[in-house]
Amino acid sequence: MATEGGDQAACRELVEWFLPAIGAVARRFGAGGRVQRGDLMQEGVAGLLFAAKRYDPRMETPFWGYASFWVRKAMQELVAEMTRPVALSDHAVKGLASVRAVRRRHLQAHGAEPTTAQLAAATGLNRAQLDSLLAVDRTARSLEEPLVADEGTTATFGDTVADPDAEREYEQVLDRMEIQTVRHLADALDKRERLILWRHYGLGRPPQTLSTIGSDLGLTAERIRQIEKDALQKLREAAAQPPTTTGRRVT
Amino acid sequence: MSSDSAALRHHAFVYDADEEYAARSVAFLREGLEAGEGGVVAHNRQGLAIMREALGPDADRVTLVDVGSTYTRPARALAAYYGTFLGELQKAPSVRAVADFQMGPAPGEWDEWVGYEAITNLAYDHLPVWVVCTYNANALPDRVLDGMWSTHAEVLGEGGRWVGSDHFEDPRGLLRRLMPEPEQLDELRSCAVADDLEAFRERLARELVAEAVPEAKALDMLVAGTEVAANALRHGGGIEEVRVGRAHGRFVCEVIDGGGGFDDPLAGYLAPREGTGTGLWVARQLAWSVESFHTQRGFTVRIWL
Repeated sequence: MATEGGDQAACRELVEWFLPAIGAVARRFGAGGRVQRGDLMQEGVAGLLFAAKRYDPRMETPFWGYASFWVRKAMQELVAEMTRPVALSDHAVKGLASVRAVRRRHLQAHGAEPTTAQLAAATGLNRAQLDSLLAVDRTARSLEEPLVADEGTTATFGDTVADPDAEREYEQVLDRMEIQTVRHLADALDKRERLILWRHYGLGRPPQTLSTIGSDLGLTAERIRQIEKDALQKLREAAAQPPTTTGRRVT
Repeated sequence: MSSDSAALRHHAFVYDADEEYAARSVAFLREGLEAGEGGVVAHNRQGLAIMREALGPDADRVTLVDVGSTYTRPARALAAYYGTFLGELQKAPSVRAVADFQMGPAPGEWDEWVGYEAITNLAYDHLPVWVVCTYNANALPDRVLDGMWSTHAEVLGEGGRWVGSDHFEDPRGLLRRLMPEPEQLDELRSCAVADDLEAFRERLARELVAEAVPEAKALDMLVAGTEVAANALRHGGGIEEVRVGRAHGRFVCEVIDGGGGFDDPLAGYLAPREGTGTGLWVARQLAWSVESFHTQRGFTVRIWL
């Protein structure tokens, strides 16, 4: 297939051709929970391109018959990861309760969802804290929810959702196939450790020396080096730790 | 089917029908439960539903693990089972597990998963676990079913008795036979290195950024690369060369040293335990795959992100 050689035009055409089929698979996973349709679509596109690289026409299997396995598998992985139980600290639980209470009061008073700025002002939380808590608390609207309440309609909310992300980001989706593991790794670090590693190694910004980072944080370069060393050790331990299967257990 | 072993037992049986799978698995698990052992069933959702019904009230005493998303690559599957067994062994002195063999449809991967079964014989052989792998004769290709006889010392025979497999192979020998020859990657470029891990990481990070590797994945490679580079410094007499670039759409990093290297195909697959290193285990957990081989340049460890 032309996609095997990384032909971007061929990849684009393939993705566009199969987006409706990927959307149909995504709808089966879409019944509420923390998984957004855009994320499912991205994983589905990843599965499709993964399959395209491996597809062997000599198997005499229809391409979609082969690729749908990988599309479904990619989505299953995402769902398994995203729906795992989330352990919240006592502090986070209190924060979440506060956010929910403010949101409820605002809805009752104004008949509309509060903005992030209104939530922040009412709860005293900053934007990053709010985003983090809201991500945990987010429940997607069911994609199977009928678009209108009339009997006889088959259109659903999911049918109306555009998928611009899936179309835009597919060029890098193969890199995302196992990104779940990475999320665990970064979770092992505290904010300062992340900051130091990201700055030193230029992740998402130009790299900085230990001295520059140290003067920004009011610490010596040696102290920064020690913090980085500890952070790397934490990452190593997190990677060595076998994954817990709690989230995948069926009880 | 009694259990009196303190170390891993890794057996298998083939089934033709769901009823046969359920009957044999339930008998095996119930015997363990009556003896105070823990129980695990690993299967996809459909298989778990069958076992839940077949176990009846005993289903509550067994941990049912959905492995639908576990079998992406051998290192990850091994770690997932290892974690499950460690968890179970906190509740019981020994564990029985029934694990259905799963894999993708690509023929190119079949040998990889047969190799995975071979690795299982040693990956957690220090744990008191009796694993019975189940093979669906109607869903798996002959090549994989043949592999079962090479990778399990005992297989369930007539009358429910375990019989020794005449075709069982030494896991390391089998892995060497199945492992494909490393590909020559002329597209990789050499980059300047120093015998200093921090300088190595800084250089590697620049290459990752230049190749537009997403931040989170780049962090993976930095940690995996550090482990491999540290091994080169510690055991290989220093880093001779580092080569990086993209191949088949993946970021690749090779660390080459002048030492004798190692010739163990199981390196990095054995679950960490006292007396073993964890460097390659860490690298395998974070990378898509890790290869090791000798070339004229030296001993090479190649990390595919």
